[in-house]
Amino acid sequence: VRLCRCRCRALFSRPAGALRARRGLAAGPGMHFGFQTVTEEERREKIYQVFETVAKKYDVMNDSMTLGIHRVWKDILVHKMNPCPGTLLLDVAGGTGDIAFRFINYVRSVRQRQLQRKLKHHQNLSWQEIFESYQKDKFNSLGDSQVVVCDINREMLKVGKQKAQHLGYSEGLSWVLGNAEELPFDDDKFDVYTIAFGIRNVTRIDLALQEAYRVLKPGGRFLCLEFSHVSNPLISRVYDLYSFQVIPVLGEVIAGDWKSYQYLVESIQQFPPQEELKAMIEDAGFLKVDYENLNFGIVAIHSGFKL
Amino acid sequence: KMAAAGGLRRAGWRLWRSRAVVRCQHYPPLRALQASAALRRASDEHKKEPLTSSSQQHFDSPPAGHQPEQEPQGPGPSYTGQGGQESEDYESEEQLQHRILTAALEFVPEHGWTAEAIAEGAKTLGLSVAAAGLFHSDGSELILHFVSECNTKLSKLLEKEQKLVQLGEAEKKPIDEFLRDAVEARLRMLIPYIEKWPQALSVLLLPRNIPSSLNLLTSMIDDIWHYAGDQSTDFNWYTRRAVLTGIYNTTELVMMQDSSPGFEDTWRFLENRVADAMTMSNTASQVQSTGEAVVQGLMGAAVTVSNAETSRAVK
Repeated sequence: VRLCRCRCRALFSRPAGALRARRGLAAGPGMHFGFQTVTEEERREKIYQVFETVAKKYDVMNDSMTLGIHRVWKDILVHKMNPCPGTLLLDVAGGTGDIAFRFINYVRSVRQRQLQRKLKHHQNLSWQEIFESYQKDKFNSLGDSQVVVCDINREMLKVGKQKAQHLGYSEGLSWVLGNAEELPFDDDKFDVYTIAFGIRNVTRIDLALQEAYRVLKPGGRFLCLEFSHVSNPLISRVYDLYSFQVIPVLGEVIAGDWKSYQYLVESIQQFPPQEELKAMIEDAGFLKVDYENLNFGIVAIHSGFKL
Repeated sequence: KMAAAGGLRRAGWRLWRSRAVVRCQHYPPLRALQASAALRRASDEHKKEPLTSSSQQHFDSPPAGHQPEQEPQGPGPSYTGQGGQESEDYESEEQLQHRILTAALEFVPEHGWTAEAIAEGAKTLGLSVAAAGLFHSDGSELILHFVSECNTKLSKLLEKEQKLVQLGEAEKKPIDEFLRDAVEARLRMLIPYIEKWPQALSVLLLPRNIPSSLNLLTSMIDDIWHYAGDQSTDFNWYTRRAVLTGIYNTTELVMMQDSSPGFEDTWRFLENRVADAMTMSNTASQVQSTGEAVVQGLMGAAVTVSNAETSRAVK
């Protein structure tokens, strides 16, 4: 019973401020893990463990927590990107492949339209020519577009690969294990860099932004989809109530893991608001940095160009 | 009182013309973009001038009539050290966007006024195709850029002709011939893009774009009347502009549907309209006809746009 009451107190009190200050032996600066203060190394480890545990239930939890709205957010992100065939995308922290699959669908449909338009122009081809053009374009349904999914967590990548197989995505997709703070890619390689709901979990955001700048081609675009700061006070109250009362409970019921989802909600609180993130992106060297609030600021899409 | 109003209008027109120059001069100092790959490329391409001349430029007064896309160095301050490698000439974001749009124009006949054309243009400049994300996905900026370029070309053409007349090397044209030639010259610039121009017109009529497109249209008409030697300081000033706007718009719409060789039907239509305008000019019914011409122009525009929309939907 006492255990229950402890839990209830956590449920009804706003957990503001650090709960426990845990400084390890390493004399690193204190970082936040949710509302706790830990060293950098500990933070990386703890986050790795969080995602290792939730990997299998990640998609189910996303749907139940956001009532399916996360799909719309991700659709809006890809729509904003408006990729044309031939684009090389790097999706960082893209574990289960949501953005990657949407990208492939989008590019495929754009490519279809392109081919249709080309065929319409060539109205008086011989049958032989038409046959040849179909052959050529059948093996190029993506128009040379490619997406590389990079994640630091092996479990998330595993789930992603299984999903890809299950849904039938085979071409134009690669899976790479890597750390956003230190990407295993050459300079000036990618057209677009996206990080959806991942930058919150990166320990050194500035390093990740610098790496993003490095691997993008000149003219390349940086897109970041992340939970952000709600300025409207009424909505903010409702949102906080929902975050702290409902989400961890859902986490316990569906995934059997209260603490991971408590971490999730707390990390959203700790994440810098829109303007601050915009300044950080500009510091990394990006230009024309802008953000778009979705759902009153619950989620924001930041965009910047390497010019 | 009328003379004062006319004088004000003259001064206003001159201010209007110079605002483009002032705007360009203000942009370069705003953002110092150092050592970024794409923009350094601009300085590499234009490295023809030696270091000394560019630093000298810094001390001279900035050149008037600044053309952004021809001179990315611009009148901005130079930060040259001794043998300075780092960006002594940099360009602003606006100038880079200008260059991308100019490069995109050659892909318009194939891809239309779309983000794809802009992406192809960016590729020719060595940028990633994602740079098309700098602009709206419906191609508004591309079209507005093109219209503004055409207007600039027309101004230069008219200025050159005026100089020839002033030097006595050419005769001053009668007013109807002048207007006809000016409108024809301006419309001929559309010929390479004539297939996709209806799409462009419909985009220009989007509520978001109407302020800019109207702005460009009125300044072009102003230009033509100025070089035509319009000295009016009374109500005629407004009437003349409305009449010419009506003539221009209706001729443009006729040109969209013209399939005669060399667009001769369009030029004949133009000739007739200008002749009508001349005969109208001294009658009291001028005011009423002006209103009718403008209304007809708008109606024609609406009909053409809806036709373009339905034909596009059918496709």
